[in-house]
Amino acid sequence: MTVRFRDLVAAERMKITTLPATWIALAVALAGHTLLGFAAGTDIVRVAGTAGPSPIGQTGTLMLAPAYALAAVAVLAAGGEHRAGQLRVTLAAVPCRDRLFAAKLATTAAFCLLASIPAALPGHLLRHAAAWPVGEWTGRFGASVAVQVLLGLVGFGFAVVASSVTVPMAVLVVLAVLGSPLLRSALPDVVRFLPHEAASSLAGMSPALGPVAGLAVLAGWAVVSVAVAWRVFVRRDG
Amino acid sequence: MIEVLGLSKHYGGRKAVDDVTFTARPGRVTGFLGPNGAGKSTTLRVLLGLDAPTSGRALVAGRRYRDLAQPLRTVGALLEGAGPVPERRAADHLMWLARSNRIPRRRVREVLDLTGLAEAARRRVKTYSLGMRQRLGIAAALLGEPDVLILDEPVNGLDPDGIRWVRDLLRDHAASGRTVLLSSHFMAETAGIADDVVIVHRGRVVVRGSLAEVTAGHASLEEAFFARTGDRTGGPR
Repeated sequence: MTVRFRDLVAAERMKITTLPATWIALAVALAGHTLLGFAAGTDIVRVAGTAGPSPIGQTGTLMLAPAYALAAVAVLAAGGEHRAGQLRVTLAAVPCRDRLFAAKLATTAAFCLLASIPAALPGHLLRHAAAWPVGEWTGRFGASVAVQVLLGLVGFGFAVVASSVTVPMAVLVVLAVLGSPLLRSALPDVVRFLPHEAASSLAGMSPALGPVAGLAVLAGWAVVSVAVAWRVFVRRDG
Repeated sequence: MIEVLGLSKHYGGRKAVDDVTFTARPGRVTGFLGPNGAGKSTTLRVLLGLDAPTSGRALVAGRRYRDLAQPLRTVGALLEGAGPVPERRAADHLMWLARSNRIPRRRVREVLDLTGLAEAARRRVKTYSLGMRQRLGIAAALLGEPDVLILDEPVNGLDPDGIRWVRDLLRDHAASGRTVLLSSHFMAETAGIADDVVIVHRGRVVVRGSLAEVTAGHASLEEAFFARTGDRTGGPR
C-alpha cells in the first residue's frame, strides 16, 4: 500500500493551514486589497509625483503590495520547511522527492489560487464596481488573481532554492520597491522584464509590456523559478 | 533489520563517514556510539535517505529507505536537528505526518497519550520545554507503529523519569521482536540499554559486537571506547 498523491496533498494542505503566519498573510492581503481598492475606486487619495498628483490606482508598486502579502503564503510553504529542521521530518515521511515537490507545488498553487479570490474580491469590487460590462470586470479580476498566483510561485521556487523565508521575500520586495524605480530610467528594457514590472503590466497598471506580454513574462519567471527549485530540491542533501 | 554496508559519505574532501559496515538485528537494541563529530548523524541521515551516500549501501528491511512505500509504517526516526515548525501545534504536527503516510488519526491520540503529551497537544511547539519537544519527536517516531526505530540522542533534555521511560520503551520495543538503533554519545547511558554496540570514531567503525564482547576486559563501555580509539579528548576532528 503506497502513499497516495492525494494524501501528500492533504498533508501539505494541513501544513499550510496550521501555520498562523498563513492566516496573518491572508488577513494583510485582504485588508490591503480592500483599503487600496476603496481608495482607488473613490479617488480620495492621490500620490504626489513629478507631473502632479496621480490616482493611487495607477501606482503599481502600492497597488500590488497586497499581492506580495499573498505571495508570502507560498514562500512560507516552501521556505518554512527549513525552520527547526522540519524538512528532514518531511523527507523522512515522504522520501520520494519528486512526488513530494509535486504535491507541495500543487497544494501551494491551489491554495494561492483559492485564497486570492476572497482576498482580492472586496477590493476589486470597490475599485471596479463601475467597470461594466461583466466581461471587462472579470478579465481584470482574473488578471489580479493570476498576478497573485504567479508571484506566489516565483517566491515559492526562490524559497526552495534559498532554503529560507526571509531571503526570497526581501529580494522580491526590494526589487519591487527599490530595484524597479531606480533602474527604470537607466535600463528600461531590462526592468520591464522583472517580475514586478511584468505583474504591473498584467494587472493593467503599467504600459511597459501590456497585459498579455506581462502574463507571459511573469509566467516565464514562475516556470523558471519552479523548475530550478525542483532540480535543486531533488538533488540537494537533506 | 538495518544493514549498513561499506557506507561512505564525503563532503568535498572531508570524509564524514568512511566505509562503515554494521547490522542492527531484530529483537535487539543496537547502540550506535561515538563522540560528537564521529559520523553517527551523517550515517543516520544516509540511512534515512536524507543524504546521498558517496559509496556503499544502507538498507532498512532489505530496501533503501527511499524505496519504502509508507516509510513511517516501517521506520520511526528521531533525528537531531529535525523538528516541527515551532509555531505549529503539536497535534497538528502529528496529524499531517499521519496523513502523509495514511496512518489512522486515532494513532495521533494514542502516541500523545503514550508520550504524556495529551494535555499539551493543542499547545504550540514553541511553548514546549526541550524534554517535551523530545517526547514529541518520539511520538512522531512511534506514529506508524514501525518495526524499526532509529533514534538519535533520544534522552537529550529528558529528566530522570523521562530517561527511564525511554529506556523501558526501547527495551519493550526490542523485546517484541523489533529493531532499535540508538545513536548516542552517552556511553554509560547506552550501556544500560544496548544489547549490541557499534562504536564509530572519526568516521570509521572501531569495534562492533555484543555489549559483552565489546566490554570484555574493560571496566566499562567508556573504557573500552578509549582503549580502542586511544582518544581521551573525545572531541570531533
